[in-house]
Amino acid sequence: MSRVAMLIDESRCMGCRGCQVACKQWNDLPGEETTQRGSYENPPDLSPTTWTRVRFIEVVQGDSLQWLFLTHGCFHCGQPACVHVCPTGALKRDLTEGIITVEPDLCNGCGYCSQFCPFGIPRLDTDVLSGEGKAYKCNFCQDRVANGLLPACVKTCPSGAFDFGDREAMLAKGRARVEKLNQQGFPNANLYGEHELGGLGRLYVLKERPSLYGLPENPEYPVLANLWQDVLQPLGTLAFGAAALGVLGFYFLARRSVNMEDVE
Amino acid sequence: MIGNRMNTTEELGEAGVIRIRWIPKYTAMERLFHWGHTVTFLALAATGMILFFPFLRPLAQGEGGQLVRLMHRAAAIPYGALPLIYVILEPRRAVLSLRSVFKVSRDDFEWIKGAMPYYLFGRHEAMAPQDRFNTGEKLNAVVIILGSVAFAITGLVMWFGKGIVPIGLYQAMVVMHDVSMVVTVSIFIVHFYLAVVHPMMWAGLVSMRFGVTSAAYAQEHHASWYYGPERAKEIYEARKAALAAEEEYPTD
Ligand code: HEM
Repeated sequence: MSRVAMLIDESRCMGCRGCQVACKQWNDLPGEETTQRGSYENPPDLSPTTWTRVRFIEVVQGDSLQWLFLTHGCFHCGQPACVHVCPTGALKRDLTEGIITVEPDLCNGCGYCSQFCPFGIPRLDTDVLSGEGKAYKCNFCQDRVANGLLPACVKTCPSGAFDFGDREAMLAKGRARVEKLNQQGFPNANLYGEHELGGLGRLYVLKERPSLYGLPENPEYPVLANLWQDVLQPLGTLAFGAAALGVLGFYFLARRSVNMEDVE
Repeated sequence: MIGNRMNTTEELGEAGVIRIRWIPKYTAMERLFHWGHTVTFLALAATGMILFFPFLRPLAQGEGGQLVRLMHRAAAIPYGALPLIYVILEPRRAVLSLRSVFKVSRDDFEWIKGAMPYYLFGRHEAMAPQDRFNTGEKLNAVVIILGSVAFAITGLVMWFGKGIVPIGLYQAMVVMHDVSMVVTVSIFIVHFYLAVVHPMMWAGLVSMRFGVTSAAYAQEHHASWYYGPERAKEIYEARKAALAAEEEYPTD
């Protein structure tokens, strides 16, 4: 199988949150107690037990209110910083399908992934004091996909906003849809995720600019992740090796030339 | 060795045994601080490196990794508390030590010049006079003190700041924590060598264990501390002159 992608046409989403429920059902995640916050959007954020969630963005135009919906969750980047910084190997990118998963048995809860993700996706249930817990995020229902099924959210969507499959095919569909939206009077319509961060696995067809949906216009790979993993780690090995070897060499030199009778 | 034996306070006692006059160098608190800091530093370095080095990955995984992180946090508490306890309980000693650690003089540069021949070949005919700490010990102390401050600040942000501080700041803290680790562990390797392994160096270890040093050793290696800076300088100049004369008219 080649790299897969999820194409979400936000112009077709009607905010039913079926995807949210299907995700919880398939992944056996409990519901969360919510409060009335003056918005249909709930729960208020992604969490260790909410891996996908519909954002309700209220746009006021004159005296009318327009809703923009965005089904939020892991983007399955082509170039994932979370995988790069994970010290345990719990975060993995499947090399054929490009799906990024967290292996709970390997995760030690350090949370670096949550701090280096350009989208801030992984959520932790770690205890602040002891640091005990794990990281959680959407895994594109890899267990379903591996068995030829669609991810739960895609399967359940009643409005046809979701599509899933070969990434090239999804890109072609997305581009065509954007063109159509442009013709239908949405000049700002765009396809989000084609090239960002090595190409995203979660592609959006958006009616408006990404920033209006709370998405970064130009998500950037954290350079400090590279400085840390690709420079500091080899440098550390080198420094300790050099210090230890140098010291060993000095030891034999000193042993040979120091007159121990001089030593007091 | 020239002009040295004359100054020593080691004497032959009645039974023909060398008597050593011991003078106090470190308080009990200072030694407790030093060794407590050493043990917690090593524990922190070991547990931290498990997260840092990819080849130690198996130890970082799952429940074991969680335990490693918990141990890192547990060791960080005494590591941070010990210097504070020292400063609170013995503020005057702490100020004294800090002053001598951060004081830089020409003698330090001369000492560095003489360090290689001394530590490699045991030549110490003319080492610039040193205070309670020699230049090498001071360098070690400065790096460890600054490193510890960096560890404490960055470590506390990494511990309690997740989700509170901007992620860019958090990322910088992780990188700085690791830079401190690489620098301090490197200097620790050198410090361990000079203080414990090096064939000539035993007096420092004795004084850090028992709190005392022999007067003879202090005269030779910490002259500014033993005699005061002026007298130490006189002795140093006299010895250098004697050495120059010896070179011109060798006696043997
Ligand atoms: C006040 C002292 C210190 C505090 C509060 C502290 C705290 C922390 C925290 C919170 C972490 C992140 C892992 C986690 O969330 O459990 C960490 C990682 C680490 N610490 Fe410390 N630490 C301290 C001192 C030290 C010292 C003295 C060393 C080494 C000599 C050290 C080396 C490391 C290393 C190498 C890592 C792993 C970073 C990575 O994954 O690359 N720490 N520390």
